[in-house]
Amino acid sequence: MDSVPGRNIVKVLGLARGNTVRARHVGRDIGAFLKNLVGGEIVEYTKLLAESREQALDRMIADARERGADAVVGMRFATSEIASGASEFLAYGTAVKLAPEGPSDTVR
Amino acid sequence: MKTAENEPTPDELAAMAYADGELDEAARRAFEARMANSPGLAREVTHYRRLHALAARAAPIEPMDVEWRRLARDPLQRGLTALGWSLAAVGCAALAVGGCWMLAQCALPAWAKWGCGALLGASVLLFAAALRARMRTRPYDPYTEIQR
Repeated sequence: MDSVPGRNIVKVLGLARGNTVRARHVGRDIGAFLKNLVGGEIVEYTKLLAESREQALDRMIADARERGADAVVGMRFATSEIASGASEFLAYGTAVKLAPEGPSDTVR
Repeated sequence: MKTAENEPTPDELAAMAYADGELDEAARRAFEARMANSPGLAREVTHYRRLHALAARAAPIEPMDVEWRRLARDPLQRGLTALGWSLAAVGCAALAVGGCWMLAQCALPAWAKWGCGALLGASVLLFAAALRARMRTRPYDPYTEIQR
């Protein structure tokens, strides 16, 4: 979402971002490899990506709070594999200050 | 028609259809007229509307999750997994002991033996350090509980 309904963006505070790289332990990697052979959901890696997603999101929120932001708009996720079996998750967006909707809606 | 004990009665079915907005105009008016004189029917409708609101908020349970939990309790599945991991552990231990013994017995010069031994020792020590660090930080990692 690039705007907040009912509020005006009065100040752009910059990029809020949070990232993490996580891995499951080798036992889970072996389990995941075996599931890869037979197909279906690899719950080990579903969990890995979910853990990374939440941690990256929390770090982005913490970064936005540190900047004194009221909201993060234009939020996106990006992922990559940094090493075999380790996922990198990046959450980023624009930290903004908000004001109630009104005529003075100039973005500084 | 005699309904089975667990089957909904015609009144309950009508209340469900009304709460879900599935009745046409004539049937809806007829039901509202009946409901005006029947507090029981009105209570049924309120009950189904609350249930509908609750169901809309609750995340659906995936049928696969039920089967995953059943499999986790299944003795055969547990036995297969436990036996597999035990055999893997025995194999790793045998390879480690055998590898060290072969290294000691082989015809390599002493400096090569000591070098290989030092590398193996370093791997074990560094792994132990990484494992120790993980065990110490794990209680402060709130993300380990997330499933999906």
